[in-house]
Amino acid sequence: MPEYRVLLVEQNRIMMERLSSVVRNTKGFQLASREKEPRDALGQGGVFLPNLILLDIDTQENIDLVREFVRTFPQAGVLCLSGQWNAEAASTVVKAGAKGYLIKPFTGEELLAAVNTFGESGMGLLSDVLTFFSPKGKSGKTTLIANLALALAEKSQQNVAIIDADLQFGDMAVFFNLDPQSTIVEAVRDIHFLSPITLNSYFMPITDRVRVLCGTKRPEFAEAVNSRTFIELLSMARSLFRYILIDIPPAFNPVSVAAAEAADAVYIVSMLGGGFETAHMQRTLDVFKIWPDCEQKVRTIFTRVEPCDEAAEKKLAASIGYPVAGILPNEYLLVANAANNGRMAADINPASPLARSIDRLASRICADRHKVV
Amino acid sequence: MEEVSRSGIIITVFSTASAVGKTLLSVNMGAELAKNGYRVCVVDLDLQYGDVCHHLQLEPQKTIFDAQAAIEKDAAAFAVEDYVTVYEGEGPEFAVVAAPLKMEEACNVSTLAVTAVLSRLRPLYDYVILDTTAAFSELNLAVMDFSTIITFVGIVDFIPTIKNMKIGYDTMRSIGYEKNKIRFVLNRSNSKTHIELQDVEQLLEEPFYHVLPNDFAAASRSLRCGVPLVIDNEGTRLSASLQELVGKYTNRLSGDGSGQPGVTSWVKRLFK
Repeated sequence: MPEYRVLLVEQNRIMMERLSSVVRNTKGFQLASREKEPRDALGQGGVFLPNLILLDIDTQENIDLVREFVRTFPQAGVLCLSGQWNAEAASTVVKAGAKGYLIKPFTGEELLAAVNTFGESGMGLLSDVLTFFSPKGKSGKTTLIANLALALAEKSQQNVAIIDADLQFGDMAVFFNLDPQSTIVEAVRDIHFLSPITLNSYFMPITDRVRVLCGTKRPEFAEAVNSRTFIELLSMARSLFRYILIDIPPAFNPVSVAAAEAADAVYIVSMLGGGFETAHMQRTLDVFKIWPDCEQKVRTIFTRVEPCDEAAEKKLAASIGYPVAGILPNEYLLVANAANNGRMAADINPASPLARSIDRLASRICADRHKVV
Repeated sequence: MEEVSRSGIIITVFSTASAVGKTLLSVNMGAELAKNGYRVCVVDLDLQYGDVCHHLQLEPQKTIFDAQAAIEKDAAAFAVEDYVTVYEGEGPEFAVVAAPLKMEEACNVSTLAVTAVLSRLRPLYDYVILDTTAAFSELNLAVMDFSTIITFVGIVDFIPTIKNMKIGYDTMRSIGYEKNKIRFVLNRSNSKTHIELQDVEQLLEEPFYHVLPNDFAAASRSLRCGVPLVIDNEGTRLSASLQELVGKYTNRLSGDGSGQPGVTSWVKRLFK
């Protein structure tokens, strides 16, 4: 484990004492130097060879100096400190080159979590939010999201999150056999006291790179989540993950609409079953066509397509009069077994046609150039 | 015999998972009841993605959205029969209150208006059947409140569905619905699955009130033709089972237990 040599910059004397003692008492960290004034730190800090800078940004002056710190200490990571979470300030400092953002006062555990989380890639304010909508439900959407998250993490080697916002009947916890201590309900309840680091712990780990924020345990808890708190949650989660996949319930409701509006891409998922699936897909597309950037942002996926080939994809695209972004084959028994056993992360054979279709979709998503923030 | 005014039976068809056959059940119950001489209205309360008119190949001129507009304009002059679409396929006729045509309309139908429409339908029909969505929405809770019976449709496909049935049932019990008001109907019972029906009943702590066999081909054919199974003269096991279920809901007719409609329509009218 690397030894962190910390340069602490904090205006407030009492806070400085408090944070100093946390740094000193945390295994793997030593307090190399501390300064009240940022300009003193910039001028003299170098002689202490810090590799981690904890910079208070509760003043505008310090926010403006973040870029200067990054330039002066290229071998060190800069973590900004603030009394409370501020998405705008977080975005500003990350663009200026800071690795992350920590709410003060923090504990040793939070400090450690912060360097571990932000260490490699820094805060991912360039995250892509992908929202998955199905007109009537029973679309294979949860299966798709679960497997796509794993595939995206594998391909991008970055952190991926699933948010189960199907508030009444979300199934993600069952798919991964999780008994979550915290769910979306607790996350939105606590959101005003959280920072990205503490929010991260509300997501249950599935693999090293994939985490899930589970849905409610009982349908009546759904009322605790409204579109405003949901969006606050999402904007904070954006600083933790490269990709965020949101599972929303069927039909349009305030939270699903908010999740779609906040997304970088919306996937409409429909399962072919001999019913009126293409009619529902068209009806849904008609709603999204109000968006001027609908064609770029809204994509369609059909599941249980048999035979699952290019001709089928073309035929579907013609029937809905809109491009089809992906088709998945029918693998009912494979999926049902994996879900029944809560082994979605392990039981889907990567060589199966379903896994290969999802893999192709993941490649397309990874190839998408993200918009420049 | 003097006509005694009585309020009709309201049956909500509900589920906690999508695509379990709610609409199929609703239109077939409607058709079978109509065949037995009852006055029936099927109301499509899947406002955003309703399929009742798709199933029956109806092209409604008026929908529940128009009914709402009329009621808000002049409640006293509102006549609900002007807002139904009549299905008159192969014999028995029944009324349908269609879901809104446009999504925008669907999002602007209020629970209050729906309950007002239902209260107008109730005296006019022996049975009002409500096809719903798989959610505890404000609308669904309101209509379940004043339903006579809730037909809770489930399928046994995989664990998440069963989990949702269980928490759905627990929720309904916790908000005070009597056990007797909730009737579990299992659809597609013999489809490919690794889950035993008895295990589900044990989990729910309730037996299934009725079990419908799986007949995907017959159901698909019925969808394509736009004719409910119970009147399509194909005589499938599924249609017999649907008739049997309706027999249970109309105990007036269930004497011989064969599920055969033994009494003709005019006799039913007499005993109403």
